[in-house]
Amino acid sequence: MKKKTTGESTHSPEKKTLLVTGAGGALARLATKVLATKYNLIGVDPRPLSSNHHFPGDFFQIDYHHRQMTEVFRNHKIHALIHLGRIRADTRTSANFRFEMNVIGTQKLLELSRAHGVEHLVVLSTYHVYGAHRHNHSYLTEDEPLRASQTFPELADAVELDHAASTFLWRYPEVRTTILRPVNIIGKHVKNTICQMLRGGFCPQLIGYDPLMQFIDEKDMARALILALDQPIRGVFNVAGEGVLPYSKAIQLAGALPVPVPGFVGYPAVKILASLGLGFPPHLLEYFRYQTVVADDAFRKSFGFVPKVSDPISLAALKSQRNPVVEQFLQGRQRKDSDS
Amino acid sequence: MAKSRLRPFIAEFLRNYSSSQLGIDLEDRIHRAIPELNASGYDPWGLDPKTVHLAASFFSILYRHYFRVEVEGTENVPAGRAMLIGNHGGQIPLDGVMIAMSMLIDANPPRIVRAMVERWVPVVPFVSTFFIRVGEIIGHPKNCRELLNKDHPVLVFPEGVKGSGKLYKDRYQLQKFGTGFMRLALETKSPIVPVAVIGSEETYPGILDLKPLANLIGAPYFPVTPLFPWLGVLGMIPVPAKITIRYGKPMHFDLASDAPEPEIRKAVDKVKHSLQFEIDEGLRIRGNSIFTKAAK
Repeated sequence: MKKKTTGESTHSPEKKTLLVTGAGGALARLATKVLATKYNLIGVDPRPLSSNHHFPGDFFQIDYHHRQMTEVFRNHKIHALIHLGRIRADTRTSANFRFEMNVIGTQKLLELSRAHGVEHLVVLSTYHVYGAHRHNHSYLTEDEPLRASQTFPELADAVELDHAASTFLWRYPEVRTTILRPVNIIGKHVKNTICQMLRGGFCPQLIGYDPLMQFIDEKDMARALILALDQPIRGVFNVAGEGVLPYSKAIQLAGALPVPVPGFVGYPAVKILASLGLGFPPHLLEYFRYQTVVADDAFRKSFGFVPKVSDPISLAALKSQRNPVVEQFLQGRQRKDSDS
Repeated sequence: MAKSRLRPFIAEFLRNYSSSQLGIDLEDRIHRAIPELNASGYDPWGLDPKTVHLAASFFSILYRHYFRVEVEGTENVPAGRAMLIGNHGGQIPLDGVMIAMSMLIDANPPRIVRAMVERWVPVVPFVSTFFIRVGEIIGHPKNCRELLNKDHPVLVFPEGVKGSGKLYKDRYQLQKFGTGFMRLALETKSPIVPVAVIGSEETYPGILDLKPLANLIGAPYFPVTPLFPWLGVLGMIPVPAKITIRYGKPMHFDLASDAPEPEIRKAVDKVKHSLQFEIDEGLRIRGNSIFTKAAK
């Protein structure tokens, strides 16, 4: 077990211990800053921590389905677990690897949690599990069928993760389980597909389609996670930011340039790029065609959650990270547009 | 690019025309009709006031000059939630557009009508996006319920594609009504207002419906009119029939939303009859000419 203790292993006995998976990720980074004041933290992640990431607690680099995970539970009395470690679908990870990590790994974590008397479990799922389907009505509630795996087998691991956690939630009421299905998380630290595209500056858009989307700022999402840990409420909850906006508006607010692509070019092009490990996974294209808008009333009401960062502000923040050459080019274009 | 220079010019012309020539302050009316907008400038259903303004500017010209629409009984639409039940016909949903326009520019206070559109619409590029931007919603019961609960006027054509696809010979004969709208109205306690549109069923006089061709392109029907498809795009220009819209008295039903189907069916038939009554009344007043309204 590669252990990396980042300095302050000050486990105080009066604090409860919280295990954070996906500890190297953006959300963990934001949330643990606050959580460190309330909990003794243990972080795990299959990836190494980036050099500038200071994890406020013990960190172990292990795969979730590896038996070393058991050791972590044996050696520490863990009170709560926050599972942020879902491996996102991208063109560089295989479906097999994701299945191992997300499905087998999550099941392992759930079993260990039960066996070792974890009191509270927060699982981060995604709104993608609902699937981008043309029959989607607006404001999908949590009890809606999860269509994603029907349309895209590539997303089966995400749906299975969600199912495993939901089954656990109902079967073992002694563990307080909260499952969050957030919409597109955006922010400086986040590296998901939509963020990378908006940050990059050139956003392909299927001609004729401009679906409604929802975004939540990374800071708001971190707050949502902390709320979920703090409050004794179990269940499945959609988490969203303050409103809906079309994809084209998101591109505009992020100061990026839409690149119109006809569907008959877009679909094969994305497949070819994906096979080369570039671009983004083909199934995600459907989310740029049909809307998947979720209702977050339940989370807001139960947890008293109100997003603080508005969409225009969090989208505009992505500009600051853009390549300066690209940014200069885009600004030049905008100036030319406003002149004419 | 010529296109990008022409577009703002056309938009400017349309907006000016509606305010200066037709004397309608669309911007103010739209502003008053929209209850809430988020920080990005959209309502919770993806409606964009700017697109509504542009589209309404264009359709207001059609409304006033081309179809010379006359409206009776907008005061019958109650404030707050209401379900508008209309007759459907004439191949493309011009009837829906004209009802929406009448509620926006001839009703006081102005309202934005939310029409329930066919569930195959989301696959149609451009159209799907346009519909969402002007406030039309996919015809899913959950969408309808949510809109009514938020006190929007919702427009439903219970005939569905059986109505819009009907041929000229069947005009103004209401097709079979679904019962879903009645259960939703009962559940949300929404009054039902029958809306008869006279004239719209003559705008595209369908002679034939080429079903195999429709199936091929995934459309619910493929109409053949005296001009379409023979004249191509020109054949798509609607016949300038004079359109009259009649709003009937709001109807309330004392029924449980989970009442047995025969009882719901009875209530639906009452709505259908009062709608047919409004249609017949409108047709009687209009007389034989589809282009002018005869004296009463």
